[in-house]
Amino acid sequence: MLERIKDYLFKTWLIMSALIVVLVVVFLFGYIFINGIGSIDKEFLLSEPKGIPIGIEGGIFPAIIGSLLLMLIACVFSSILAISTAIYVVFYCKSERIKSFIHLIIQCMSGVPSIVLGLFGYALLVLYLGFGRSLLSGGITLGIFIFPFIQIRVEKTLKEVDKSIITSSYALGVSEVYTLFKIILPICRADIISAITLAGGFAMGAASPIILTAAVMFAPVPESLFSPVMALPFHLYILTGEGISLEKAYGTALVLMLLLLVINIISIILNIKRKESR
Amino acid sequence: MNVLEIKNLSVSYGDKLVIKDLSMDIKKNKITAVIGPSGCGKSTLLTTINLLLEENGGQFTGQILFNGKDILSYEKKDVRRMIGMVFQKPTPFPFSVYKNLTYAPKYYGIRDKKKLKDIVENTLKRVGLYEELKDELNRSATKLSGGQQQRLCIGRALTVEPEILLLDEPCSALDIKNTANIERLLKELSKDYTIVIVTHNLSQAKRISDYTAFILDGKLIEYDETKKIFSNPKDRRTKEYVEGIFG
Repeated sequence: MLERIKDYLFKTWLIMSALIVVLVVVFLFGYIFINGIGSIDKEFLLSEPKGIPIGIEGGIFPAIIGSLLLMLIACVFSSILAISTAIYVVFYCKSERIKSFIHLIIQCMSGVPSIVLGLFGYALLVLYLGFGRSLLSGGITLGIFIFPFIQIRVEKTLKEVDKSIITSSYALGVSEVYTLFKIILPICRADIISAITLAGGFAMGAASPIILTAAVMFAPVPESLFSPVMALPFHLYILTGEGISLEKAYGTALVLMLLLLVINIISIILNIKRKESR
Repeated sequence: MNVLEIKNLSVSYGDKLVIKDLSMDIKKNKITAVIGPSGCGKSTLLTTINLLLEENGGQFTGQILFNGKDILSYEKKDVRRMIGMVFQKPTPFPFSVYKNLTYAPKYYGIRDKKKLKDIVENTLKRVGLYEELKDELNRSATKLSGGQQQRLCIGRALTVEPEILLLDEPCSALDIKNTANIERLLKELSKDYTIVIVTHNLSQAKRISDYTAFILDGKLIEYDETKKIFSNPKDRRTKEYVEGIFG
């Protein structure tokens, strides 16, 4: 009898926990949706911010484009390095010591607070390398921010590839590089893309790495890699932080959340596709 | 004629000696079966011959002559191309049938679409899959049945035109009907290729092979024509093994 009560309490606890989390998310979405949907119209999405102080009127078009571009640069920069690192660790690195050293570094990287990363980007990219507050500086900083995320997932995927398939390829006299590009990476493609999109979403939502490296209160759609940009999370921060327009802030938050939702859905679809293909 | 001459071969993984001073010659265009209890070093022998050993972290001493030349004097990839290998578990690449069969030819520089198509068709005909799969070349190879997968893998090994085909218990994951298919196929192929098959299944060795080698604890106990091994073995241990007293 006592066991059954214990069992019952435990189950209730689990269900309640799940329920609370789900409710918080639903409430958050719902609240922002209800407050934000009013300010979203064609002008809000497609025009530049206007008014004094700036942002009180007009739209957030440059911020949307800025955020997407920052995400793109971060993903390109980060995935090249992350995938290469993962390939090295899984297929080429023979020394356990070097492997665990690399893993240690990556763990440390993922533990660095994002504002510290922002300061690092500011010191190295903006000041020392002279990129200025720009799309490039912000993109690279965000790239460093999401590097551990992509690397860890890609490494896991590569490790999961059936060893016997790789051996069969070698048994045909085929080189390691050909095997890598024609078998291993195609097998992992969906997983890798899904990791990159998720990480992209991560990068897009992050404000602190770009506060000092890329984002400004107002800029047109960037013309070059060295132009400063607007970004959704930073714009949101300014709108609320400076008390410019709460209404516009809700609108911005909604747009940001919807973009992230789309990115996550893409990543989920890719995952489902992968499972079907196996 | 001997296509392979193995001389005083010893193989070890780290400190563990798996094959001890083994010498045997493999005859061209014959089927040679290698039998013995689990863990006696049969599979290791195959991986040594096509130089996959170091991939698995082992090393060998002694000499293997392939067509009279030391195997180490060839490029590794040439050895593996000329000595194909098929594994116990079917290992089709998770792509289409067509891609499975064009994978290696493309690597060796064949780009011509028509040539590639010919290779695919001829290979499928060789391994008896043509009628079953001719309209389904784009089907994923992982969706094929176990027997079809294994025949496809044998076919894939043939696409690079090897001289020798090594098979590591190719039928152990298959049912009787598929096993019979593969055995028939191997008989067919032995006209053009030299086949070395490791098998657990004594009656299989008896059915298909011309020569049989019995290995125990990494040592070659007896190696002779299959008939002699099964009817009149010289060594007591061979006799006991083929009669099923141990193993």
